[in-house]
Amino acid sequence: MSDTRQKVIQKKLPREVYSALKNVVGEQWIHESRSVVETYSKLSIEGGSFVKKHEKDPHVLPACVVLPASTDDVQAIVKICNRYHVPFIPFTNGQVFCNPTTQDPTLIIHFSRMNRIIKIDTQNMSATLEPYVDYAQLQAEAMKRGLWNGGTPLATTVCKLASQFAFAGLWQTDLKYGLLNRNIISVKMVLPDGEILSTGSRCIPRAGDFWEYGPGPDLMGLQRSGLGTNGIVTEITVKLHAWVGDDALPEIPGGRPSLKHVHDAKYDSPPEPLKNHKLLWVEFKDLDTQLKAMREIAHSGVGIGLNATGVYSAFYCSQTQEMTVQRCKEHFFPDWNCYVILANTTSDQQIAYEEEVIRQIIAEVGGTFLSETHKPEVLKALQPWNYDCIRHSTGYRMNRKFYANAWLPVGPLEEAKTTSREWKKALDLFGEIDITDRGGADDTPFVYALQRGHFCLFETDNYPDPVLPEEIKKAQAYGIYGAAVVTKYDLGPQLMAFVNVEPFTTMFPEAGPNAHLFMRKIRQVFDPNSVAAPGRQVFTEQEWQQFPAEIKAAVNAMRELNGMPRVE
Amino acid sequence: MTYYEPKPHKKFFEKTLEDYRDSIWGCARCNWCQNHWAWNVKSAEYSEICPAFHEFRIFPYAGMGKMHIARALLEGDFDYEDAPEVVKFLYTCTTCGACELNCQRLQDKEPLQVNETLRARLVKDGIGPMPEHRNLLKSVKNYDNPWMQPRTQRDRWARKIKIKNIEKEPAETLFFVGCTVAFDNTQWHVAQNTATILLGAGVDLGMLGTKEVCCGSPVARIGDRDTFFDLAQRNIDMLNKTGAKEIVTFCPGCFKALSHDYAEVPDVPRLQAAVYHSSQYFDRLITEGKLTFSRPVNKRVTWHDPCHMGRHCGIYDEPRRVLEAIPGINLVEMERIKDQSWCCGGGGGARTAFMDFAQKTAAKRIGEAKKTGAEAIVTSCPFCEQNIGDALNAMNDEMEIFDLTDIMIKAMYSREV
Ligand SMILES: Cc1cc2nc3c(=O)[nH]c(=O)nc-3n(C[C@H](O)[C@H](O)[C@H](O)COP(=O)(O)OP(=O)(O)OC[C@H]3O[C@@H](n4cnc5c(N)ncnc54)[C@H](O)[C@@H]3O)c2cc1C
Ligand code: SF4
Ligand code: SF4
Repeated sequence: MSDTRQKVIQKKLPREVYSALKNVVGEQWIHESRSVVETYSKLSIEGGSFVKKHEKDPHVLPACVVLPASTDDVQAIVKICNRYHVPFIPFTNGQVFCNPTTQDPTLIIHFSRMNRIIKIDTQNMSATLEPYVDYAQLQAEAMKRGLWNGGTPLATTVCKLASQFAFAGLWQTDLKYGLLNRNIISVKMVLPDGEILSTGSRCIPRAGDFWEYGPGPDLMGLQRSGLGTNGIVTEITVKLHAWVGDDALPEIPGGRPSLKHVHDAKYDSPPEPLKNHKLLWVEFKDLDTQLKAMREIAHSGVGIGLNATGVYSAFYCSQTQEMTVQRCKEHFFPDWNCYVILANTTSDQQIAYEEEVIRQIIAEVGGTFLSETHKPEVLKALQPWNYDCIRHSTGYRMNRKFYANAWLPVGPLEEAKTTSREWKKALDLFGEIDITDRGGADDTPFVYALQRGHFCLFETDNYPDPVLPEEIKKAQAYGIYGAAVVTKYDLGPQLMAFVNVEPFTTMFPEAGPNAHLFMRKIRQVFDPNSVAAPGRQVFTEQEWQQFPAEIKAAVNAMRELNGMPRVE
Repeated sequence: MTYYEPKPHKKFFEKTLEDYRDSIWGCARCNWCQNHWAWNVKSAEYSEICPAFHEFRIFPYAGMGKMHIARALLEGDFDYEDAPEVVKFLYTCTTCGACELNCQRLQDKEPLQVNETLRARLVKDGIGPMPEHRNLLKSVKNYDNPWMQPRTQRDRWARKIKIKNIEKEPAETLFFVGCTVAFDNTQWHVAQNTATILLGAGVDLGMLGTKEVCCGSPVARIGDRDTFFDLAQRNIDMLNKTGAKEIVTFCPGCFKALSHDYAEVPDVPRLQAAVYHSSQYFDRLITEGKLTFSRPVNKRVTWHDPCHMGRHCGIYDEPRRVLEAIPGINLVEMERIKDQSWCCGGGGGARTAFMDFAQKTAAKRIGEAKKTGAEAIVTSCPFCEQNIGDALNAMNDEMEIFDLTDIMIKAMYSREV
């Protein structure tokens, strides 16, 4: 740790760059004062940015924040960045991965002014959005028209779809609708060199914006998951689906909280699921039975969502951290569980029929439904899910302390066992940081059955104290170890991080093989001046050489712990 | 201070930034401090909730930004001389509490408390408040009111009303009038209406007249804790001495100060009397059959929740019940209501220092109100009435703004008081 009162001095952009940017957006929309850049520097779940804050590392501070209002503005900004070789980071909420890794003065391009829903096309069931439009806004407007987008992330509805394009879009209702990245029709992007790319059918004049394919190869496929490195999404068109609920989510009869009594559970308690929807909660005796039941349900083709929340519900459904911890200790929520979201999407009898199917499956596989007679108090405590499964609000409760590290491998359902086993091993090896770390471990990881059960995602996390850098570092070690485990057991690409971003792209060449070398070539084509979120997804050879030796050593240590050879 | 370390019990006004250390470090960047609670979002247009972020679009204006600025100041990453702009960011906040409510609901963290604690630190260090606030503070110290008015003028609104002076004649219920209405003759009607309604319902009502002193709310919000402590002490002593069992006030600022803030001041006695917002009191009188409305008021109205009455103190339903008890009133709701109400823009010293921002915020509320088809906005806060009223005038808009008591009086008497 460094001198605790030592100041952290930001770098500034050269004056001619600043003036050029100011000419694009106007004086009001460019900021470089110390306190402004501070608010764009400590991120959400990026342990690294927290540790660097503790260490007073100035490189987490951007030099400047600029707020474009249009694609033209973004293009002009990016061209200036190329002209002067200024690295830039696209930024929406800054929940993840925005942190500048560069030593050079870096520009943040914040999209908060680009917040229009450009169009909702009810005929073709699609919506075209600017990058600052979030899920809640889109859902509210679509539902009024009998449509919806198919779900929202746990990261809650304030997430923007454009940053999720670069990322994921994991929803409670992915069983039927698939991840966001399966729901994108097209994007308009400013490429890192300032060129504009439109993908899909929208790039054919007058063809319309209805299909993800345009002429030639799938350019969106090349861009998807680029995490801001391959360009900046300035417009995104997503699919909408039929919505059978009310045109707004109903009021909760418990009323509205005030600051006096905000932690009362009644304000989190929608009494019933939404119109034409139903949730069924099932408890199992062990992980094997749970996974078997989930596989059968997914194969049967019923339901719009199928997920096992494990004791994660202790976070989402508890009004305070104390309650969360208490419920973890008591195993208040069943360790092995799943819930199915049913909807009358095609007929009024659909829910009744599908419920019958699920009851038969559970009767065969084994399991008990939570009900008025079996653990009614648990069922009541799970009520936030009645709305959250459609429009997520409470997900960030897992971040009350600090959600610093996640393992998020995807794979066939059975692989949840590997994740669970390895996570337990990691806890034994490094020691748990918080009792809530076992939320995804000893009991069960969070399991999402995705895209009709073709594959699943398993989530395990730990929760260090943000005030204690040693705890955050420990959580980072879990993350690196997790990347090694994922690679060792061929658990598939991790949804969010690790083997998709540096240093893991290069440090785990088994996942590829050598995918990073191909990605380097792509980067050179799209980003000849290395200005776009540099080093985010793949390092150039030169950046790799400059990468801190201690992190390389840490990754190698974890590789060795998993019996994998060192990488130099 | 780490997350699970037991926190020593401290009253709010005793706390320093250090007491919020874990909270400040733990800000999760979830952005709920800028957004309407998702379950209740009904449109894209009205899905944001922080007036300051909504207008200026960068994070220092949001609750989240205050947390990050507080962290950096606490840890010495920068100091005031490196970031003089901080003062503006901290004071362009209406203290509406929307960030605080959503953050507490989700994250157990306190961005508004952190902002108010930061303000107190700025004042203590001689950096804050804004120059515009300094006159206000001076006035409170010199005249016991923020409006530079002589004390003798405080009871002019009551010249035509027979109301006991509680220092001379005991009364069960003390009417705490507050400075804004007492000194602004365009707002006298609110005090006059309130007194008339309460007296008409047989309430044994008294007031302090020229002896009343500022409750201290504006001073507390601006961050001058020493002056606030002094006012709290004086008020508690004086109010306790009256022997009144109940205190009624219509000003949400006074209400919050008397009912919540004084209890958070160190080393002062407890306020003996029960404190009511006038809408709570009216609601009770209606239930008891002591207040009835005989004359229809045929109007389509919408209720604007004042932040310090609603979100801060939980009074959402009482004024609505009062309005619904009035024949002819058609109450239609805006999209952002109750805990997710959009602030008028006038609170927390924002109107004093940033009039333009305050007016723009009010104009946004007016736009939202108009979408309901209402002819009038009804509220119960002198600051909201002033700020929204000024914006309506500037817009030359035919929509009206009423205090709750204006509508009640119309429903009770053939002529206005
Ligand atoms: C507690 C928690 C729970 C979560 N749960 C889920 C979940 O259930 N499902 C899920 O899918 N995700 C989840 N996430 C991750 C979530 O998807 C991301 O947090 C979200 O996408 C971040 O949005 P943001 O607006 O903060 O993006 P930022 O952090 O601002 O950006 C994310 C990345 O995208 C880039 N980027 C931003 N805008 C653009 C743009 N316009 N064009 C190109 N690149 C851009 C940025 O440079 C950055 O690299 C969770 C995160 C947290 C912290
Ligand atoms: S709601 Fe609270 S935790 Fe979330 S970003 Fe705002 S201040 Fe931080
Ligand atoms: S109190 Fe209101 S104006 Fe101030 S930061 Fe919070 S939400 Fe914004």
